[in-house]
Amino acid sequence: MAGGSDVDVLEDLLALENRLISAYEAALRRDAIDVALGELLRNHEREHARAIEEALRHAGRRSPRASVPAPELTAALRSHESFARYALHLEAEALGSYSEAAAGIRNPRLRQPLGSIMACEAAHEVALREALGERSLVD
Amino acid sequence: MGLFLTRREALGGATAALLLASCGGGDPPPSTGPRPGSGAALLGSLLALEHAVVAAYATCEEVLSGDALRNTRAIAEQEREHVTRLQELIRDLGGDPPSGRSADEYARTFPRLREPGDALAFAEDLEQRQVRAYLEALAELPDLRLRSAAAGIGAEEGAQLAAVRVLQGLPAAQGPFVTGAL
Repeated sequence: MAGGSDVDVLEDLLALENRLISAYEAALRRDAIDVALGELLRNHEREHARAIEEALRHAGRRSPRASVPAPELTAALRSHESFARYALHLEAEALGSYSEAAAGIRNPRLRQPLGSIMACEAAHEVALREALGERSLVD
Repeated sequence: MGLFLTRREALGGATAALLLASCGGGDPPPSTGPRPGSGAALLGSLLALEHAVVAAYATCEEVLSGDALRNTRAIAEQEREHVTRLQELIRDLGGDPPSGRSADEYARTFPRLREPGDALAFAEDLEQRQVRAYLEALAELPDLRLRSAAAGIGAEEGAQLAAVRVLQGLPAAQGPFVTGAL
């Protein structure tokens, strides 16, 4: 992500958000996550995607990228625990990407809002740790 | 989509603003050292807040036990690491990191914590203020290295805020945009 244009950065973030939305939707369909938690996390990711799309409209978006479902997702849908661990991995990836983007994006007006989403992804990690019954909520 | 603040956040902001005012964040910058606009003064304000938060967690721990105590101790350890990181960044800029005040001085500014719920609500207020401070710093720090450090610490503050919410029986994430909106 480093060194790309703002459009590149935002498109990468949108692709990540779409992966998260797809994952939570699949988990809800397959009963691989508590419904309330799954809907909450999915709805947050939808709001993030909507906001990134809005920013992309202002930044001059190119054509949308196609995404392919990750093969690991299918395996992760076997149980609540395996899906939570898979989602935790995805959320960690999103957290790292938002952290990098919030610091590096060239448009300074986007840094704080991207940081705001970053903090939400950090909260999602905590929610998933809680769902896994982990007693340590922070790393 | 606009910026939104709950009443609780607003009250928390007031508590933490009082704390920040008492922790040295408003002290004038030194006359020598880093050049103006280097970011050192802003990092100094973040460091002053971190010093106060470390002291606040020590006070919170006096009324906590079990999972809440274990998790707040882990959070306090992260806050001490943030202190070290900010001190390094300020020194790298040629600055002199502000030192914290005495435990007694901080204690005079803290609310009375009678039970675990008081301590966790106070911790949540502080974490709200810290997340907001680091997100504001992202918009103001002049170079990528400093912003990367602020983002990394801000991410940890976001997790800490979520953790103290969970310890109170609240949802980890209060909304899709923590402390603001795109």
